[in-house]
Amino acid sequence: MDFFLDASLYASTLRMVTPILLAALGGAICARVGLFNVGLEGLILIGAFSAIVGNHFTGNVFAAVLFAILCTLIFSMIFSFMSIHLKANVIVVGIALNFLALGLTTFSLRAVFDVKGAYYNKDMVGLPKWDVPILKDIPWLGEILSGHSPLVYLSFVLVIALQLFFFKTVTGFRLLASGENPTAAKSLGIKVSRIQYGAVLMCGALCGLAGAQLSLGNVTMFTEGMTSGRGFIALVATMLGQSNPIGVAGSSLLFGFMDALSIRLQGFALPTHFTMMLPYIVTIAAMLFFKDKGYMQEARKSNESSR
Amino acid sequence: MDKLLQLGRSLLQPLLAVFVGLAAGAVAISIVGGSITETYAEMWKGAFGSFYFFTNTLSRATPIILIGLGVALAFRAGFFNMGSEGQMVLGALSAAVTAIYLPGPGWFKLTAAIIAGIISGGIWSAFAGWLDARFRMNLLITTLLLNYIATLFAGYIVSYPLKDRTGSAAMAQTVMIDQSVWLPKLFKGMSLHGGFIIAAVGAILLFLFMRYTVKGYETRMLGGNPLFASYGGVQRGKMMLFSMFISGGFAGLAGSVEVLGTQYRYLDGALTSPGYAWSGIMATLLAGSHPLGTAVAAILLAALQTGGMGMERNTDVPLEVSSIIQAVLILFVSAKFTYSFIKRKKAGS
Repeated sequence: MDFFLDASLYASTLRMVTPILLAALGGAICARVGLFNVGLEGLILIGAFSAIVGNHFTGNVFAAVLFAILCTLIFSMIFSFMSIHLKANVIVVGIALNFLALGLTTFSLRAVFDVKGAYYNKDMVGLPKWDVPILKDIPWLGEILSGHSPLVYLSFVLVIALQLFFFKTVTGFRLLASGENPTAAKSLGIKVSRIQYGAVLMCGALCGLAGAQLSLGNVTMFTEGMTSGRGFIALVATMLGQSNPIGVAGSSLLFGFMDALSIRLQGFALPTHFTMMLPYIVTIAAMLFFKDKGYMQEARKSNESSR
Repeated sequence: MDKLLQLGRSLLQPLLAVFVGLAAGAVAISIVGGSITETYAEMWKGAFGSFYFFTNTLSRATPIILIGLGVALAFRAGFFNMGSEGQMVLGALSAAVTAIYLPGPGWFKLTAAIIAGIISGGIWSAFAGWLDARFRMNLLITTLLLNYIATLFAGYIVSYPLKDRTGSAAMAQTVMIDQSVWLPKLFKGMSLHGGFIIAAVGAILLFLFMRYTVKGYETRMLGGNPLFASYGGVQRGKMMLFSMFISGGFAGLAGSVEVLGTQYRYLDGALTSPGYAWSGIMATLLAGSHPLGTAVAAILLAALQTGGMGMERNTDVPLEVSSIIQAVLILFVSAKFTYSFIKRKKAGS
């Protein structure tokens, strides 16, 4: 039982969950406008790499994060242009972008830093760790909640902000409407494709933050393909959370906890394969209970036209 | 003459995409300061330069062709099967286990191993199809999820119960398969093995199946126009189970021939890290789900990959130029749908 009371387990859960949560929120925005973004993995990777590049050239962490956002915005422009303007299949574009991101980052790693595999520099400064004034003095809880990078706190603020945005603002309703029934939305004078562009760009910015947290927050280095499936996990978290910000946060926390747990269990002689498998099995089981919603069927339609 | 024109038109877009991909690669090469012609020459040499390199390319293409065929069938029926990776891994694992533990003569074990691979890949894939048909669970997500479960399960099996403890204990792998069960090499001293013939035959059989059988027609109809298909009496659920089983069976077969022809054991990560499954999906996309086209596209992608390795050996240009070319290629082919979409829109409504 001591094991589950260990505060550092939960603290590392929060660290692990942040990149997944940020990307999953981005995925939720895209899903809400009827574009199913399989390219999250690639977007995070671009964010992670450009954060390191920004840090290397400016030496300023804040500028590095901004640079990461900028780069992922440019990259997500490709996605939106291909899928909205050229009406290419979103899944195909997403898959292609994942590959492009993997190739581009590894290639640029060679071109910019002239190293292969990973870039690490001991002078590089990562994201600062914030000690929250009053919170950090609470015995057990303080250990968990305090001492994280600003992006960790930002991600949870964003959950609330997005929830309010979706369900309490006019723009939010327009966004939901253009996903649920584009034709009806268009007849009301809502500029559907403009909203879709906006959603994809928002998703890009969030993935940029996710990447920055991955390469500058959790560690201070870049490794080839360091996302290692986190984008797909985020995608699954989006689905499991029914593209509701609060739900997405809940399912991301589940994945983050399992991630932290499986790392912790490596210390014991327990096979980690099963703890790592658990979130996927839970997701499949959960999908039995949360069935199709209206906007999901729109997403399905765009998925199923495979040619 | 009309037919020829039509063929030319359908080839135009992929050829254009190849050209754009190579142009993007040229930009990347010039950024790192390499000579474009020299680099592409090295790439060509690495893929087709000698008989040895050519067979290397073909043996890399073998699993990609098989996976691509499976995905192509599912696409044709209108299902996005993203689970080839898990299906391939389970197929490979069961083929390895059958080949190691089944008693009997070599040819018998070989056949049994291949069949075991097909069946387990097929069942894993049909399971996702069943979840969709029975519970309306999104196939795209379930197949993605089942990938992780399959690779983790296979990883567990070879790290604990069936781990090879004879040699260096560092690798998570099964023991070596007996030499009598290996797929024969086609040429002495080359890596190309009998699996390539299986893949080529598979491509032709799938092409004939889609073209000339009732089932094949129903599959195409379901993908092309689901409403019309259901009006014509095609049951979506049944067809889904059927096409997903075959689709996964091809992926399982891909895993089996890799194990029986190249690695001779199940080695954790040896099938997932080269990204065979994704290359297979890309080959299908490139060929617009045409079985024979998929085989050709798979060889093209494999040539880009082996060529990239050759290029990296002999020049300063990094290997990843070839993955940039591949990705740009797919992006441009995906715009093909649009191209025909615009035309149809102009002609129709």
